[in-house]
Amino acid sequence: MKDKTIRRVVLFFLFIAAVLVAVAVQAVRNISHSVADSDWVNHTHAVILETEAVRSALLAADGLLHTYVLTGDARDLRACREALSDASENMDIAKALTRLEPEQNRQLVEIESMANQRADFVQGVLAARQSGNVATVREMLAADAGGTAVRDIQKKMDKLKSDELELLTARDTAAYLQAQATSWTVWTGVALDVLLLAGAAWLVRDDLAARRRAATALQEANAQLDARVQERTADLGSANSRLSTENLERRWANHALEHQLRYNHLIIDSISDLVLVLTAALNISRVNPAVVRLTGLEPAELVNQPLSRVVRLAAEPDGADAPLRDPIAQSLKDGRELQRQPAVVEDKRGRQTRALLSLFPLRDQDRVVGCVVTLQVLTPQSNTAPAERNP
Amino acid sequence: MKKHILVVDDEESIRELLNVYFVGTGYRVTAVASLAAALDAVRQEPPDLIISDLQLEGADGLQTIERLKSAVPDKPVILLTGVLFDPQAVNQVLMSKVACYLPKTCSLAQIMDAVRRLTQAPGA
Repeated sequence: MKDKTIRRVVLFFLFIAAVLVAVAVQAVRNISHSVADSDWVNHTHAVILETEAVRSALLAADGLLHTYVLTGDARDLRACREALSDASENMDIAKALTRLEPEQNRQLVEIESMANQRADFVQGVLAARQSGNVATVREMLAADAGGTAVRDIQKKMDKLKSDELELLTARDTAAYLQAQATSWTVWTGVALDVLLLAGAAWLVRDDLAARRRAATALQEANAQLDARVQERTADLGSANSRLSTENLERRWANHALEHQLRYNHLIIDSISDLVLVLTAALNISRVNPAVVRLTGLEPAELVNQPLSRVVRLAAEPDGADAPLRDPIAQSLKDGRELQRQPAVVEDKRGRQTRALLSLFPLRDQDRVVGCVVTLQVLTPQSNTAPAERNP
Repeated sequence: MKKHILVVDDEESIRELLNVYFVGTGYRVTAVASLAAALDAVRQEPPDLIISDLQLEGADGLQTIERLKSAVPDKPVILLTGVLFDPQAVNQVLMSKVACYLPKTCSLAQIMDAVRRLTQAPGA
């Protein structure tokens, strides 16, 4: 966006500069034309003035001629000749001024020819008067009666003056149009530049507005991002705190379970009676230290062994061994306890010890999953009825 | 001012867990392992609440609680123990001696509930 705007502004200013240069060139050219026109006007006025001077000199010479004819005064003769000389000089100047203007120069040549003839006539009259030949003078003046020659010269001069004035008018019109064109060019250039400057300003303003909008949007996005970061940080902090608490709770729960298990083991291991935990298939899954002490077998030697490996029910009074498996299996199947049944525990070396067997089914959600068998060893002092039935 | 809790338990892991938990929730904790150390701590800075195990070295059962109560009679004591009591025994025997009985099988949140309740009570 930035580069595009700069390119556009630069293009606008280049265009403005081009317009300014074009206007300046056109203005300089028009000024040059105006100067040239001014020179030409001055030149034309000079031609007219010189022509009028020729006319004046010729008319003056004509008047002085008549005066000299009447007075014979030498001063009038001299003045008349000076007038003719002035006319000749003015004619030379006029011809020089129009040397680059063929039409005007041609007219002046014609006027010069007529003026020369008139000057020759005047010189002739003057010579005749000076020589005292009055008759010739009278004859020559009579021939010139009516001033036809002078009128013809004046007509030619009027025609030349009229042509010069027409040219002046045309040049004035052209100069006016040129001035108008210059004015229009300058004002058009100024207006175009103002429009271009306005366009450039609009572009800059639009760009600044876009930048402000972008900055505002960026600030809002940053603010939203900050808010989200803070919110997320708070969430993470909360989650971290929650996880720490949960972790502590888990550690506490594990410790409590471990403590409870240790406490339960302590209770069971502290019992002097033999305690055996059996599976539903009547295999040993756990024993307490009392069992190890009495049988001399390590827990590893007892686990997964059938209960009959170390315990059997005592013989009936008639001397026959009572079936061991069936009453226990039946108790488990029925889910009922056995209380203080006479039994015999056999140790590692085959020695037998009398005891009272009790069985307690282990229930897990109303399903018998095993049982706990306790054996209370009968000492010789034991005086229980079942003990009396033991062999 | 943060409330001050005295934790009395002979198991280091229990003391550490309770210390981390209560410090993290805005309490000051003094954790000791024996009755003698607990009595010293009580003399130095009486706590707002005592959490004590039942079975400590050098003390016997409820004797621990009675000694602590005699040192700071107006401060509540929570009995936090792994020894599971019969509910009837708790009501008849323990509640006259302690403000609250909690088994160690309860959660930390339950312990915190009891701590908050007792530390906000008058006299705590």
